[in-house]
Amino acid sequence: MAQLNMREYVARRIRELRTAYGKKGLSQEELANMLGVATNTISRWETGTYEPTLNDLERLARTLNESILELFPKSSVDTPKKLAVDALLRAANELDQKDIDELRRYAEFRRAKAIYKRKPKQ
Amino acid sequence: MLRTEYYEELKLLARQTRARFGLDSPRVLRSDLRRIYKEEGIKIDLWPYKPRRLRGAYFDDDLGATVMLAKGLPEDPMVFTMGHELKHHLVDRGLSLSYCDASNQSNPMEIGAEIFAAELIYPDEDFRDHLIQMGVSQGSCRPEILVRLKRETRTTLSYAGLAKRAEFMGFASRGAMAKIRWKKLEEELYGPPVYKRFRNRS
Repeated sequence: MAQLNMREYVARRIRELRTAYGKKGLSQEELANMLGVATNTISRWETGTYEPTLNDLERLARTLNESILELFPKSSVDTPKKLAVDALLRAANELDQKDIDELRRYAEFRRAKAIYKRKPKQ
Repeated sequence: MLRTEYYEELKLLARQTRARFGLDSPRVLRSDLRRIYKEEGIKIDLWPYKPRRLRGAYFDDDLGATVMLAKGLPEDPMVFTMGHELKHHLVDRGLSLSYCDASNQSNPMEIGAEIFAAELIYPDEDFRDHLIQMGVSQGSCRPEILVRLKRETRTTLSYAGLAKRAEFMGFASRGAMAKIRWKKLEEELYGPPVYKRFRNRS
């Protein structure tokens, strides 16, 4: 997927996840307040004018109670290796649930980072 | 292989790693570990979201070797965690994932990582020599001595690590170092640390 397409895809997904949040969705302003950023920033992410950093996307995903991978195309995400990590995380039963969730989030962040890095330079 | 043999091999590997990277004191810093990680091709991610007990995790898969470290750990636990994860990289590669948390580890792979990390920071032999030089004999090590040892050597091995080792080597009796409030004891012996003095002044 070309960079513009990826950027457009992420922008579209931010909007979709925001408007689908809870039962009523969130306004750009509400989301901006939750994230501690300017409303303009959300708007520019959603139009693709600004490209959020990976850390922005992680914060966004957490705020919306989603996986960061939900912001990326499915085809770039589901690999057998990812599934293997999922299985291992489930097996990490010495950890408490919060830490397993944190490990999973990190594993997903790591994979998102790889997808982000694969983008051709603009 | 017996567990004890496995642990001795890990200690040897830790000493070899020290020699390979020129670590010649018990004060191993995160910058030393960063240098080793760079050489070994391990990427680091500092994870800003506070896990409950998890301190680090090692991943090795199609994306390469990566270590996640809980951001904001103080120097000693950070160095220890980095040493712990380094063992997974050097010894346990191919397992895709292993992690380090603050609980007592029960499986040999995790105990081995703890032993490796402790030896990497402060080898048993050096620890024994330092205590003997301080006039400590078997069964006579008191908490105050470990505080002095830590200050004099400036080791980044934690008080908990030093105490466990003193007990294991017989310098202190089992349980003698339990429930010691190390930082408080340190302050009683040497006064509050500089940052506290500044804070109290303002």
